[in-house]
Amino acid sequence: MDAVLKSLIAIVGKHRAIVARDALLAWECDGFTVHKQLPLAVVAPETTEEVAALVRILHAGKVPFVPRGAGTCLSGGPTPMAPSVVIELARMNRVLQVAADDLYAVVQPGVVNLDLTTAVAHLGLHYAPDPSSQSVCTIGGNLAENSGGPHCFKYGMTNDHVLSAVVVLPDGSIAKLGSEAGPRAPHGFDLPAIFCGSEGTFGIATEITVRLCRDAEAVHTLLASFGDMPSACRAVSQIVGAGMVPAAIEILDQATIRAVEASIYRAGYPEDAAAVLLVELDGPVAVLEEETAEVRNFFAQNGALRIEAATSPTERKKLWRGRKGAFGAMGRLNTDLYVLDGVVPRTKLVEALNGIYAIGKKYAVVLTNVFHAGDGNLHPNISYDGRNVEEVARVLAAGREILQLCIDLGGSISGEHGIGTEKLEHMPMMYTEADLEVMARVRSVFNKDNLCNPDKVLPSRHGCAEVAKWPAMIARVLDGEGQS
Amino acid sequence: MNNFTINSTAELIDALRSRGDHRVRLCGGGSRHHAQTARPFDSVVIALAGMNRIQRLEPDDLTCSVEPGVPCAVLHEELAAKGLELGIDADGTIGGFLAADPVTAATTGAASARSALLGAEAVLGEGKAFKAGSRVVKSVAGFDVHKLLIGSRGLLFAATLLHLKLRPRPPAAIDFCTDVMEQEAASRRFIALRSLAPAPVRLSLLFDPSGCRITGRFAGRANWVATALRSNGVREAKLAAATPFDEHSGNERLAGLVPPTQVRHLLRALPVGAFARIHGNGRCEIDLPAKATDALLRAMPELFVVAAIIGGTAVRRGQGTPLDAGAVRLDQGLKQALDPQGVFV
Repeated sequence: MDAVLKSLIAIVGKHRAIVARDALLAWECDGFTVHKQLPLAVVAPETTEEVAALVRILHAGKVPFVPRGAGTCLSGGPTPMAPSVVIELARMNRVLQVAADDLYAVVQPGVVNLDLTTAVAHLGLHYAPDPSSQSVCTIGGNLAENSGGPHCFKYGMTNDHVLSAVVVLPDGSIAKLGSEAGPRAPHGFDLPAIFCGSEGTFGIATEITVRLCRDAEAVHTLLASFGDMPSACRAVSQIVGAGMVPAAIEILDQATIRAVEASIYRAGYPEDAAAVLLVELDGPVAVLEEETAEVRNFFAQNGALRIEAATSPTERKKLWRGRKGAFGAMGRLNTDLYVLDGVVPRTKLVEALNGIYAIGKKYAVVLTNVFHAGDGNLHPNISYDGRNVEEVARVLAAGREILQLCIDLGGSISGEHGIGTEKLEHMPMMYTEADLEVMARVRSVFNKDNLCNPDKVLPSRHGCAEVAKWPAMIARVLDGEGQS
Repeated sequence: MNNFTINSTAELIDALRSRGDHRVRLCGGGSRHHAQTARPFDSVVIALAGMNRIQRLEPDDLTCSVEPGVPCAVLHEELAAKGLELGIDADGTIGGFLAADPVTAATTGAASARSALLGAEAVLGEGKAFKAGSRVVKSVAGFDVHKLLIGSRGLLFAATLLHLKLRPRPPAAIDFCTDVMEQEAASRRFIALRSLAPAPVRLSLLFDPSGCRITGRFAGRANWVATALRSNGVREAKLAAATPFDEHSGNERLAGLVPPTQVRHLLRALPVGAFARIHGNGRCEIDLPAKATDALLRAMPELFVVAAIIGGTAVRRGQGTPLDAGAVRLDQGLKQALDPQGVFV
């Protein structure tokens, strides 16, 4: 291993390599803090050629490696499963090309999501996918996770915005998937589509071509508070049923509202409301006036307690402040936060929420809900003390049951956070052995030796192996829950 | 062994397991057989047209699940009755359309086959059934194997159930066209219309020996559609359907990808007698005399154009501009991994 490390350092230099144990602590986990694993080393390349050279050495030495962006992932995607070398891509942060007339940009993977929009704002353009972490998360991480965000209800997920990618494959070879004009050549398969969302297990994207969107003429944001959650959900159904496609439709429940209002993200949301519904409309001014009136009408029909509207950027920022700061606000509730991510058909939202509250009560966990109501993507958040092993076990058991509920209602165990390590053992809840075997075949095409972010996404044949890597007591509790 | 028309997944699995040494050409309704490569003499055709049920349509969730043999015309009609649409100009059977992923007049940001397909159930050549994706509008659980169906030409697996994303049908839509223009002006106009927010839901630059025209469709609220028409200097027009490829014309048809700013260069490079339809989503189709095809394909990489022959003699179909060597290796790897016996041809 020493020889491999020496070779890696020879490529990036000592100033871009970290091997000291205390310094490596920053890379032991991502936003999913349940699972931690110290890497062997961190190396920070700056070019495609450096990435390829590093990967070739690691491949030859049979050393597992994990690509990492900003580490904002919430499912353990960039956390090593076993001692591995982390390839840190944050230094690859240049916007390489902006083709305004062709509506695309070519970026390195470490470009921060919001920085891309900032870089093209003067051209009246923006990059549409906007995860809540967009001020820190990177485009490379977004590509790996197929990230979403509030505005993907109208504009689609990352996959809908990726035209091509230069990738370093796990053997160190380089491939270009797709082209600037489109992702699939007429005589090839749609490689960008399968690479996107592969959670860093298919290789490392080093240049990514993404579609840019023209800014809308105007944006209207409306916020309504409701005395009960079903009324807020009904208003959502009516808006979508009327043929409108708002840019975003978000709901915060009462526990979240109170957490936000007690925090530095205070946005003036009414604390007595059971739910706050945030609807953003964008488009031509004339259209927005009509749609805004209709949305207000749906709010009123469902007994909205208070309605606020914003049309200027400052006013809109104020209404969004609480939503954008919701996860940060929950940091006040306890030392750790488990952000779940499940999807149900939108018409099952009320049923799902009732079930989630019941599960929270059953496991005696502190539970808040913020979600993308337009597409049924729920984010139940459990605040807990990660130092309390017994509490962690209850949190994980509650999480598992919530995801099972999503599946039972016809949904999915992840809408935008990915599987990572968090949901490895949940995959068989959604997919059969045959489904997983076919996915494994596809992974083997890209990552035959399973060295690139090994053992993620697909559970091993012996499903308990992953769980056993967590603290033993948690594993025992989960096994018990799995049998009940 | 005869050709089969399949009515269920069980029948498909049975047919694949009992095919003996025969290889299999998958077929929807058969409307695109002229665009496929030559069928090996030892192969049989399995037609999925009998799997034609709309299994689930949830207007409030904006999703549906359909079998691959559902005719798109039937699906469009069912959706329209509920104020919904796929948002793509699908024709033939839905399975055949997704597997062919033909060039359509969509524009940037519009729905595409890729964005419409949420999940699928499918069968591998060896007869193994599997599923990928989900029936909800958003899911990132596992690898998106179902997305490989798009444009796979039936070479990887046979889809047996397709989960599709729907969108509300716009209350108003108007087709438009411009006057005939010279190439430079048409290219600039094409880029300008493509850059509108919202952009036309369809946008095409049509090139023929008489010059260039731009056609498209504005869709949305009635007042905005009327305003968009006026303020962009285009006139309402009934659009003609794309001309079907004439196999006996001595021409070949290319399908490809072209960045909008390269359109004017591509038009200049076209040989005498060529016709082209270039769309707002970067995709294009070019009909040209067969003897001129190879020279154009050789010139295309310098124009950042990727293209392949989709119409012409069977032996020529599938030939195109060189692809990245790494991508070719992955394409071959996917074929080997999902269809190791080479069942689908």
